[in-house]
Amino acid sequence: MRWLRFAVGLLIALTLHSVLDSFFPNALAFFNPYVILVVYYSMGGNVFGAIIAGVIAGLVQDAYSGAMFGLHAFALTVCAYAVAYINSRLVLRGTMPFGACLVGAVIVNELVIYILVNILLNQKVEMFEQGMIVKTIFTCLFGMIVYLLLTLFLREEPIEATRRPAGW
Amino acid sequence: MAAPADVIPRRPTLLLIVVLGLLFVLMSLSTRTRYIGETRTMFERSVMILFAPVPKTVNWVGQSLSDAYHGYLDMRRSVNENLQLHREINQLTTENLRLRQSEGDLRRLRGLLGYSEQFAMPTTMADPVLLDTSSRFKSMILDRGSNSGIEVNDAVVNANGLIGRVVLTTKDMAKVQLITDGNSSAGVLVDRTRRQGVLRGDGAVGAQLYDIPSLSDVQPGDVIMTAGIDGIYPKGIPVGVVTKAEKGQDLFKTITVRPSVDFGSLEEVIILHTRKIPNAVVRYAP
Repeated sequence: MRWLRFAVGLLIALTLHSVLDSFFPNALAFFNPYVILVVYYSMGGNVFGAIIAGVIAGLVQDAYSGAMFGLHAFALTVCAYAVAYINSRLVLRGTMPFGACLVGAVIVNELVIYILVNILLNQKVEMFEQGMIVKTIFTCLFGMIVYLLLTLFLREEPIEATRRPAGW
Repeated sequence: MAAPADVIPRRPTLLLIVVLGLLFVLMSLSTRTRYIGETRTMFERSVMILFAPVPKTVNWVGQSLSDAYHGYLDMRRSVNENLQLHREINQLTTENLRLRQSEGDLRRLRGLLGYSEQFAMPTTMADPVLLDTSSRFKSMILDRGSNSGIEVNDAVVNANGLIGRVVLTTKDMAKVQLITDGNSSAGVLVDRTRRQGVLRGDGAVGAQLYDIPSLSDVQPGDVIMTAGIDGIYPKGIPVGVVTKAEKGQDLFKTITVRPSVDFGSLEEVIILHTRKIPNAVVRYAP
């Protein structure tokens, strides 16, 4: 069931990606729906599931973006692992902790991408800091609104909120 | 808030390292193929194919919405344009009618002007205000009179030919006796043979040509012109066309003439201020 919800979330993220690409071609420079999905999933604290979710969401994002294939998957996997790891130790619930996780995830995501692009392509990312700040703010705000709506109307908690026994 | 140590998974860290390693290899491959011209690896292509319905659907929905919106806008624009074109058509039709009217007037007036210029005498333009062709006495009232210099016995013509002569004037009106009037007469000649005769109105729609000898060569279709011998009409004005020429019971032919002027469609006319023959001269005329 949790994977079904993740799949639906992924389709929504991809739809959002396509819609934004169609109407506002530069919108994804300010906002990343895949990070929201991955963080939301990883908030459950299941590290293994979070890694898989990060890989899948990242590969989908890679497939429909101009970056080298695997770049976003790599970055999102790192984010997913970090968020899930933290949530496996600290039970973070509520809009504000979710927002804080999103902020951290976006920053980590951008940093990883920045490093990989520099290493593999030997390219300098233009206006990296400004882009990261803007993307952090918008993604965080949008993610918190989504989280709030899910909590209010669907009484939804992050997927995998229930702790798994050791060894997943 | 701290969770027990036994719930912290350890193997996922290993998984993370493996996954990241694989992704790094994938990225390297992607980078390498990118440089040799192939921008999509097989794996990337598979993911794209797997999720292709989503962007396609979004694109289809977006395109449909865009088409519907632009279709609606186009329809609104077309309706407005249609209304505007209808208005323009109405305006242009009205203007066209007016221009046609003006063109007809211009052609007619040019004809009149050219016609009047050939006479070396003063002329006055006038419009008929009343035309009486129903009775035997054929007459016409003009909107100009003695104030415009019109006098009795002035010839009245239009672009087609002779209409008649002025028989009565007031200050601002003049009465014209048409050549079809039973009491009118004019000295004329047959244009082809130059044979002279007298044209008298038949009181209907035509006129009779008298005093043409039986042996004279007059045929239907011959053009009749004024001869300039009656002291009223200048020479050379078209009067009509012979429609019937028969041998009469006496020495003269019976000739029927159809006037060149259509009295049913008279508009502007020209009054020729012909030079009057002094009474003293008339008195000694044969």
